[in-house]
Amino acid sequence: MSKAAPPPQDGMGEPVPRIDARAKVTGAALYAADFPVANAAHAVLVISNVAKGSIRGIDLFAAKATPGVLLVLTRENAADAVKRPSYFAEGGHASTKERPLSSDRIWHDGQIVAMVVADSYEIACDAASRIGVTYDETRPAGKLGGPGTETVAASAVNKKHKDPMVGDAERAYESAPFKIEVELETPTQHHNPIELFATTCLWSDGKLTIYEPSQFVYGLKHGVAEQLGIDPTDIRVVSPFVGGAFGSKGSVTPRTALVAIAARQLGRPVKLVVARDQGFTVATYRAETRHRIRLAAARNGKLLAYQHEAWELTSRIDDYLVGGTEATTRLYAVPNAATKVNIVRADRNTPGFMRSPPEVPYVYAYEAAINELAEVLGMDPVELRRVNDTHKDPITGAPFTSRSLMRCYDEAARAFGWSHRREPPGTASDGDWLIGWGCASALYPTQMSVAAARVRLVRSGAAHVEIAAHDLGTGAYTVLAQAAAEGLGLRPEAISVTLGESSLPPGPVAGGSITTASCCNVVAKACGQIREKLSRAVAQAKDGPLAGTNRRMLQFANGRIVDSRGNGEGLDQALDRLGTGAIEEYAEWIPHGAKPEGLQKLYRGSLDIVGGPMEDRVAFAFGAEFVELRINRYTREIRVPRIVGAFASGRIMNTRTAHSQYMGAMIWGIASALHEETELDERTARYVNKNLADYQVPVNADIGEVEVIMVPEVDRLVNPLGIKGIGELANVGTAAAIAEAAYRATGKRVRKLPIRIEDLL
Amino acid sequence: MKVNGQLHRLSLDVRTTVLDTLRERLGLTGTKKGCDHGQCGACTVLADGQRVLSCLTLAAAAEGKEITTIEGIAGPVGALHPMQQAFIDHDAFQCGYCTPGQIMSAIGCVREGQAGSEPAIKESMSGNLCRCAAYPKIVAAIRQASGEMRGS
Amino acid sequence: MRSFSYMRADSEAAALQQAEPSDVQFLAGGTTLVDLMKLDVLRPAQVVDITPLRRGPAGEIRADGDGLRLGALVSMAEAAAHPAVQSGYPVLADSLRLAASAQLRNMASLGGNLLQRTRCPYYRDTSWHACNKREPGSGCAALEAPNRMHAVLGTSPACIATYPGDLAVALVALDAMIDLASEGGRRSLRVADLHRPPGETPERETNLAPGEMILAIEIPAMPWARRSLFLKIRDRASYEFALASAAVALDLQDGVIRQARVALGGLATVPWRAHEAEQALEGKRPSDDVFEAAAEVALVDAQPLRGNGYKVLLGKRTIIRALRQAASMEI
Ligand SMILES: Cc1cc2nc3c(=O)[nH]c(=O)nc-3n(C[C@H](O)[C@H](O)[C@H](O)COP(=O)(O)OP(=O)(O)OC[C@H]3O[C@@H](n4cnc5c(N)ncnc54)[C@H](O)[C@@H]3O)c2cc1C
Ligand code: SF4
Ligand code: FES
Ligand code: FES
Repeated sequence: MSKAAPPPQDGMGEPVPRIDARAKVTGAALYAADFPVANAAHAVLVISNVAKGSIRGIDLFAAKATPGVLLVLTRENAADAVKRPSYFAEGGHASTKERPLSSDRIWHDGQIVAMVVADSYEIACDAASRIGVTYDETRPAGKLGGPGTETVAASAVNKKHKDPMVGDAERAYESAPFKIEVELETPTQHHNPIELFATTCLWSDGKLTIYEPSQFVYGLKHGVAEQLGIDPTDIRVVSPFVGGAFGSKGSVTPRTALVAIAARQLGRPVKLVVARDQGFTVATYRAETRHRIRLAAARNGKLLAYQHEAWELTSRIDDYLVGGTEATTRLYAVPNAATKVNIVRADRNTPGFMRSPPEVPYVYAYEAAINELAEVLGMDPVELRRVNDTHKDPITGAPFTSRSLMRCYDEAARAFGWSHRREPPGTASDGDWLIGWGCASALYPTQMSVAAARVRLVRSGAAHVEIAAHDLGTGAYTVLAQAAAEGLGLRPEAISVTLGESSLPPGPVAGGSITTASCCNVVAKACGQIREKLSRAVAQAKDGPLAGTNRRMLQFANGRIVDSRGNGEGLDQALDRLGTGAIEEYAEWIPHGAKPEGLQKLYRGSLDIVGGPMEDRVAFAFGAEFVELRINRYTREIRVPRIVGAFASGRIMNTRTAHSQYMGAMIWGIASALHEETELDERTARYVNKNLADYQVPVNADIGEVEVIMVPEVDRLVNPLGIKGIGELANVGTAAAIAEAAYRATGKRVRKLPIRIEDLL
Repeated sequence: MKVNGQLHRLSLDVRTTVLDTLRERLGLTGTKKGCDHGQCGACTVLADGQRVLSCLTLAAAAEGKEITTIEGIAGPVGALHPMQQAFIDHDAFQCGYCTPGQIMSAIGCVREGQAGSEPAIKESMSGNLCRCAAYPKIVAAIRQASGEMRGS
Repeated sequence: MRSFSYMRADSEAAALQQAEPSDVQFLAGGTTLVDLMKLDVLRPAQVVDITPLRRGPAGEIRADGDGLRLGALVSMAEAAAHPAVQSGYPVLADSLRLAASAQLRNMASLGGNLLQRTRCPYYRDTSWHACNKREPGSGCAALEAPNRMHAVLGTSPACIATYPGDLAVALVALDAMIDLASEGGRRSLRVADLHRPPGETPERETNLAPGEMILAIEIPAMPWARRSLFLKIRDRASYEFALASAAVALDLQDGVIRQARVALGGLATVPWRAHEAEQALEGKRPSDDVFEAAAEVALVDAQPLRGNGYKVLLGKRTIIRALRQAASMEI
């Protein structure tokens, strides 16, 4: 087995190669913009270049005069075309309540002000560049904490948010022997999946087909139906392959309805591939945050107090909130905690989920503070975490369904060689390169959703799984095949899987790392129903090797149904006994803590997610990351020769795809620490580096050795299969480990991200 | 323009790039658009055997050139190119969107003699962004395939 | 992209026959030109594809006792891999090897590379109104906006855009010349005189006449250029323009620096030769103190702004590091 396919340990699934791998390496996999759609016209967006004000005029003369231009949508001809979108955080579907082209009002930089449709992409681009828009501009406030923004307590505007609180943190802090107070900042970041935001709309007989990369095809279907005022059953969303999403394709953005409207008006399919720079403002992003943290501890390292006030940026239209203190307060035993989250409304587009939305900024801040506290205490940062490990929720006292944080630390520390750590800062080097080490914890709530699925078993012993879930590269196709294979006693090769289609039974949004737990459990349930029917048929048969046996003792293995002595019969014979050519079972799964109405909601494209801190239990996955930095003594380039992460996240379905998920996320952690930042021009509230050269993500040469350790963990409480999510765990905490390593190498504490050359000079 | 061994006679808008010609005119959608400005590598194809960016190549300027895309590298009866197989073996992708560009670039990297060491591969492959961050596995895949490509 | 007429030039003469030279852009690798046409920054009426000239002298590399002659249509990849470049002029090979990406180096020509445009985001994105380089008289957005990447040397109140290329920095250090052709005839020009500091006319970027073509780059023989290197500092380990770079060459004999060359990239509006630093080195024995003194004078006139102040210190450190490395080269 290669590094890519680690041998499974206790209870982990086999490293089955991706069942969609061949399609991906041959170019056969069809992403949204790849579907062959005959006679498609091409659309290009025109976006505002002011952040606040109103449109004075739009000069369409030159654009309309361009031969090949078919249609230009503006507020003049499309003001009423799109109905008001419902915001996802208020139970709706859309990433924003912004109603495209509905008025003169400009809410943010890069707002859609027109859409040109032409015979070809080249003509549409040319025409779009000839549209002149003039604005009455007012001075925007785009910066967190800048003048003109509006700060409100999150708990005042969001019914679901309650600031976690226990004991009397203020008093405990005042009287504690060891304490720190720090302020930290995280930047704006954009997902930048390599696939662009593409939408193709095709009408036929009054029914609409949408090809769009989506993390939630049911949400997209219902959201667009609402915005067009049509029946959702008349919409089909097709999204079998998604070229990376990371949160950016989770909710309905304003472009889709416009493309549908243009296609309907022209009686011709319309294809829009949003340009990279426009993607920065017509979809969402991770907003910048600021944190003020106070920590206090006793001599032995026991935490006494934790105070955390945070500010997050949002738009004027929508109160987007991540509220990561829900996570930080669950990391360590702390008797006194007081937290407060604020949102800051500014003239910006609405932020949205980006891989570990609350945890990346908040856990960075908290873990960076914990590392600083360790220094004040003169303690090994690993030991500080050990002293404060806990098995019950520090806020509510409820038990963790499972928690293996310190096992992760022990395994990762051993692999990394942490015991050879050098003190004090600035003392390790190799020639002209200063060396620093750091570590931090990762955690991510285990979240689950109701889900439905259909599994069909045919006589040949092949089975087919259908669920409107999504594979963003996460391996969902493969792990669902494995779940069905396991449930039916078949080889994974015998299973085919259809995902990403809104006509299938609904799966949840591919966000919050909920797909594997929710969908494997519902597939397992459907398989159980098939087993039940077939077992009953063979056990109740008048003849045959299993006639009269106790059906509960029967097992499905190697394409057969067998009793404990190995006697049995093939699935084809069992199907004959039922008198059917195939058996198909539909199942619905409702996780612990979810309401049964959840499924009806899901059928309507709305989510009901449970997990993390629940009433009677808390479900989180944990990990520990260790990193080595090399920083040039003179010019301070920062390089990451190695990083080690150990993660315990319940049952791992496939060690190959899980390894890739963890590895990719750790590299995301490196990126958030050292590379990524969307720059804002404060005067105009406009983004500056809206492209892949200036918005930096790591390249191949940036990545050294990445070691992933999967710590076996059995969780019998969290859900029947014991699965926690893994996709978002491993980029949490990385930045704090890196900040610590940068300090260890140079003696400089940088309390903002990304850490760049200029911060260490 | 000759694509994957097949000659195409096309009349095109002079502004059309090779990338858009492949995707919108020839139905060869394996080659991907990630930035349209030479900043990501997703559109990498071989032109006369050399890896180039199809988004910055005007179709007019590619007249007479032999273009090879991801659809053109597998053997007869669907036998995968060693680089394709190596990408599967090492799980050198997640979403797969950058993958055709990575594979074409990787083939170029081996042919240019840049696959001799890990640092050389990393540098030579840095023009292909992978947001899923499969980088270490891409390097491993190239190491495997470069041996096989030299062997054959 | 605006429409244009496309012409393929099979000969130098054909390339130089232009109806309206000021509306012509030559197409070589296209990695700058097509990019900027897509961005609507460049709008040539005519595009003259000069890649067929690769088959002639413009596509050749010649090395002899007089030095090195690199045809303007030689690709960056070819030049970087050429043995005479690698052994005789490491600074040149490095400047090419560390630039852009493998794909871009296969496509891009040396002539085109010299003429690449600034990466100033306000220049490249036409939705910003103020850019004197793109729209003379419109102002300069970068003065007040994020300008981490912008220049600290050679700036003017009208423009602070960094010259982004690497090759030209190495060439300036080597006292290279370029051979030019136009309808009026041939001439040659020092690479150091090719790019114009912005002054009050940032829109005039070079001293080429409209329609004038680069045929070749001539680098004089310079045996001691074997002790030379190009150090490029950037956030990412690859595929990024320089935040600061230094091209240095040292003629080190008997422990004394007889001659020195220092040129800077990433810091200035044009490829920047640091003559004062060279003077500070010549006749001295290599030491950290000497290198520091040279670095100090090289940046004495730097004019930092809010976002790029770090470049002053970074520039100095880059010079010091490059000189240390060059002094200890085994040649
Ligand atoms: C993402 C990205 C990263 C990059 N990174 C780097 C980097 O790190 N370092 C670096 O140095 N460069 C970098 N580049 C720039 C790249 O090297 C240049 O775009 C390239 O060298 C230009 O050469 P070309 O042949 O493609 O020029 P073209 O685009 O064909 O032409 C560029 C300009 O030069 C003119 N021209 C071309 N040839 C001649 C000639 N013979 N005579 C007269 N005029 C001519 C054209 O008319 C045009 O105005 C990068 C580019 C991109 C897109
Ligand atoms: S620095 Fe120069 S190129 Fe950039 S905006 Fe100012 S004038 Fe334009
Ligand atoms: S699409 Fe060509 S490099 Fe990104
Ligand atoms: S596999 Fe998703 S971008 Fe590379």
